[in-house]
Amino acid sequence: MRREEEKAYIHWMYQAAGMGGGKFLGILRKTWTPEEIYKMAAEGKLEEKLAGKYQKKAARMEAAASSGGVCDIQEAYREMTDRGIAFVTAEEPEYPQKLAAVPDAPYGLYYVGRLPEKGKKSIAVIGARSCSEYGRAMARQFAAALAAAGVQVVSGMARGIDGIGQQAALDAGGYSLGVLGCGVDVCYPPENNRLYGQLIEKGGICSEYPPGTAPRAMLFPPRNRVISGLCDGVLVIEAKERSGTLITVDMALEQGREVYALPGRVTDPLSRGCNGLIKQGAALVETPGELLRSLHMECEERTTCRQTELPVLDGVQERLLRLLDFQPASAETLRQAYMDSYGAYMAVPEIYHVLLQLCAMDYAGQAGGNYYFRKGKY
Amino acid sequence: MFSTITSGAVYGIKSCPIQVEVDVSQGLPCFQIVGLPGSEVREARERVKVALKNVGVGLPPACINVNLSPADIPKSGTMFDLPVAVGIMAALSKLPPEPLKNTLFIGELGLSGELKPVKGVLPIVREAARGGVKRCIVPRGNLWESALVEDVESIGVSDMREAIEILKGTGERRKESGAGICKVSVGETACGEASSGQGNEEYRHGREGMEWSGGEPGRSREDFADISGQDGLKRAAEVCAAGFHHLLVVGAPGSGKTMLARRIPSVLPPLTLEESMEVSSVYSVSGLLQSTGRLKTERPFLNPHHTITGQALVGGGRIPKPGIVSLAHRGILFLDELPEFKRETLDILRQPLEDREVQIARSSGAYVYPADFMLVGAMNPCPCGYYPDMSRCRCTPGEVRRYLRRVSGPILDRIDVCVEARPVGFGDIAGRPGGESSSQVRARVMAARKIQTERYAGTDIRFNADLKAAQVERFCSLGAEERRFMERMFTSMKLTARGYHRILKVARTAADLAGAEKIGEEHLAEAICYRRTEVFG
Repeated sequence: MRREEEKAYIHWMYQAAGMGGGKFLGILRKTWTPEEIYKMAAEGKLEEKLAGKYQKKAARMEAAASSGGVCDIQEAYREMTDRGIAFVTAEEPEYPQKLAAVPDAPYGLYYVGRLPEKGKKSIAVIGARSCSEYGRAMARQFAAALAAAGVQVVSGMARGIDGIGQQAALDAGGYSLGVLGCGVDVCYPPENNRLYGQLIEKGGICSEYPPGTAPRAMLFPPRNRVISGLCDGVLVIEAKERSGTLITVDMALEQGREVYALPGRVTDPLSRGCNGLIKQGAALVETPGELLRSLHMECEERTTCRQTELPVLDGVQERLLRLLDFQPASAETLRQAYMDSYGAYMAVPEIYHVLLQLCAMDYAGQAGGNYYFRKGKY
Repeated sequence: MFSTITSGAVYGIKSCPIQVEVDVSQGLPCFQIVGLPGSEVREARERVKVALKNVGVGLPPACINVNLSPADIPKSGTMFDLPVAVGIMAALSKLPPEPLKNTLFIGELGLSGELKPVKGVLPIVREAARGGVKRCIVPRGNLWESALVEDVESIGVSDMREAIEILKGTGERRKESGAGICKVSVGETACGEASSGQGNEEYRHGREGMEWSGGEPGRSREDFADISGQDGLKRAAEVCAAGFHHLLVVGAPGSGKTMLARRIPSVLPPLTLEESMEVSSVYSVSGLLQSTGRLKTERPFLNPHHTITGQALVGGGRIPKPGIVSLAHRGILFLDELPEFKRETLDILRQPLEDREVQIARSSGAYVYPADFMLVGAMNPCPCGYYPDMSRCRCTPGEVRRYLRRVSGPILDRIDVCVEARPVGFGDIAGRPGGESSSQVRARVMAARKIQTERYAGTDIRFNADLKAAQVERFCSLGAEERRFMERMFTSMKLTARGYHRILKVARTAADLAGAEKIGEEHLAEAICYRRTEVFG
C-alpha cells in the first residue's frame, strides 16, 4: 500500500481513538497494519482482541468505523493535506530526530509551516503566562539574540513569555515553532492570532492532536514533553513556584535536556521558580551569550544585558522613577512610598501628572488600571 | 342634587387634579363609581357607606352616581374615599356649598370614619396649589407633608366627624378638645392652635420645610475624615461630585469602596428647596415619606443588592411605582459588585442615565419618574481581587477578562471616572490623621459647581458631565501646549477617540476644582489616570 494511504488510516485512528490515543496506537502498530486495524474495527472484532484498559478506546474506534467507509477516510485525509496541514509519523525521516529519541514521543505529529531543521540547535524559551515587565523584556531579548545566532526557538505560543519570545524570534528574522495543546488549525490563545499567522508563514505550528481538537486543560501538560523533546535545552525566563513551566522542565530533565534559568530577585514570586531551579542545579544564564557558548556557538559580544543609565530628569520625576519597579504598583502605593522615602507630601493630581510624564518619555508604563511599572529598558 | 369636589391623583410623580362629581337622585337605590376606577377605588363605595353610617350620616335609599373626571384616566389608590364621602353629603345638602370651593380633599376612610394617611400627598397638593386651590383637607398623618406646600392652608383631620365640623364651620370640637385640628399656613409663627403633643411635632416639621435653612449635606455622622489614607479615592470622589461624573471604584474587598460611596453625599452641595421637594415627592409617591415624617433634606443614598430585578431598579408594575433609580434622584445610586448584577438589569440603566428620568409606558399613559442620580459602581478587578498586582493575583488573564466583560460596555461608557481602591495597609489605619473633613471638600465642590453654573448659563448643560461631543470641543478647548501633550499621550497611553472626550470633560472638572480658567497639563494628566484602561473594558 502507498504510504499516504496508510497515513490516512493512521490519521483516522487518531481521530477515532480520541485524546491520548497516540500511545495506544503505537502499541497496535506493533501487531497489525493500520488498514487491518480499521478492518477489524469495521467488522466489530477489535474489542474482543483487546482486553483490559484499551477496551473503551476499541469500542470508540468501532463506533467510528461503522459510520464511515474507506473512501471517506482517504477523502478526509486529502482534505486535510489540501488545507496545508501535514501529518508525519515517527517512522518517517521527516519526523524531528530529537523528538524521535524521546521514549514517549507522539507517534504522529500534525504541523503547518515547517518543522525545525535537523542540523540546527533548538532552544525552548518558556515561562509564566502572567509575566512581569522584567520577564517580558528578557524573553524578548534572549529570544531575539538566540534567533539572530541561528538557534530555533520552540515554545507553546501561550500568553506571556512563550508568545513574546516567539514573536521576538520571528521579528529577529529567525525560525520559531509553536507546539500547541489543541489542533494546529485552532489558534489558542486567540489574542496570539497575529503571531499564529506569522508562525505559519515564517516558522511552524505543530501538535500531536488531530486538527479541530479544542484546547483543554488536560491536553497541555502532555504537549510540554513535545516542547522539551524538540529542543536541545530549555530556557526558563520567569516562573512561579508551582507552574506549568516547571512541568516542561521536569520533562526536559527526564529527556536529558539542558535546563537554563534566568535569575531573579528573591522577593519576586515570578522568579521563585527560576531561582529554585538554579538551586537544584540548573544553569544560571545572565546573557544570551552565555547560553550560546554553552551550546558551542559563536556569539557577538553585544548580546549582553546591561541596564541603560537612568536619564537626567527633573528632581521629582527622577525620585519617582527610582520607586518604580518592574512589578506594577498602584499610584496610591507609589504616592505613599514617595512620602515615606522622601518625607515630602505629594498631592494626588500631582503624582498622576508626574507618572504620565514618565510614561510619555517611555520610562514607565501603565498596567491595567492605575498601576505603573518601570519599562524594561536594556 | 349634584356636587363637585376637588381631589387629585398621582401619575408618576406628576399629579393630575380630579373632580369628584356626585349625583344623588330618585330611583332604584344604587351606588356606583365611574371614570375608570381601579378596584381599590371601586371599593370606596363600601368604605364610604359604612363610614358615613358610623358618623351618623345614613345614606338614603337613592340612586348615587359618582364620576371621577377626567373620566378617561385610570384611577387607583384610596385617596378618593374622603372626596366621595364629602361629595355625597354635599349632594344630599348636608354640607354648605361655600366651604367646598377651592378646597382639595384627600384621604382614605376606615369603617369607623377615621381618616388614614395615603401616598402621594405632596405632589397632589403641590399641583393643586398651582391650579388655584386655597385649602386642603388631608388625613392627620399627611398633614406635615401637605403643609410643606406654600400658599395653601392645610388642615389635618383624624376622622370624618372633624371634617364635617370644619366644613360646617361649627368647630366646637376643636375648641373643646384641641386634639384633632392642626392648622398650618405660611407666615404663621405661633403654634398655639396645635395643642396636642403630636400636633406640635407635626407643626414643627412643617415649619422646618417652610423656613428652609438649607438641606443637610448628608448623614451627619458619615464624614470624609473617617476614611484614613485612600487620598486617591477621595480625590476621585471629589472630582465626580464637582462635575457630576459617574464613578467606578475598582478594588479588592475591604478596600473601602462602600465606605467611600456612603460618604459621597456628604461632599455634594446641600439640596435646594426645589430639589428637596422633588426628592420628597418621589418618596411620597412610594409611600416612604410618611414613615420618616419629614421632608427629605439629605441627598439619598441607595444601595440595592445585586440580585435586584430590572423592574425594582427602574420602577414598573401594572400600576407603575418608582424604582430604586428614582429614589436615588438627586443622590447616589451605589451598585456594589457591579459584575454580579445581571447584564439585562444593568442595561436597563442606559435610558435613565441618558435622559435622567424613567419613562414607563402603560395603556393608561406614560409615567415619568425623575432619575437624576450619580452612579457609583464598585467591583473587584478580578475574581481574586488583586489584579493587576501580579505578585498576589492568582487569576489567569482569561479569568480577568471574563470577569470584567460581565459589565456591559454601554454602561461603562457612561462612567467618566474609574479609580482603584488600594487594599488598606496598616499605615492607613494607624497613626495617620484622617485628612480633610467633608465640609472642606464640599466647599471646593460647590465652588467648582458655581463656576460651571456661570459657564453654562443660558444652555441646558448643568455640569461638565452633561457635555456632548460637540459641546466638549467648545467648552474644553486646549491650548497649543496641552494639545501637544494630549497628542503624545494619545499614542503612548493608547487612548481611544471615545475616551478622549471623556478625558476632556473630567479635565475640565479638575480645572474647575483648581479654579483654573484653562485646562492645564496637570488636569489632563489626572483625567487620563481616571480613564478605564483596556483591561477594564
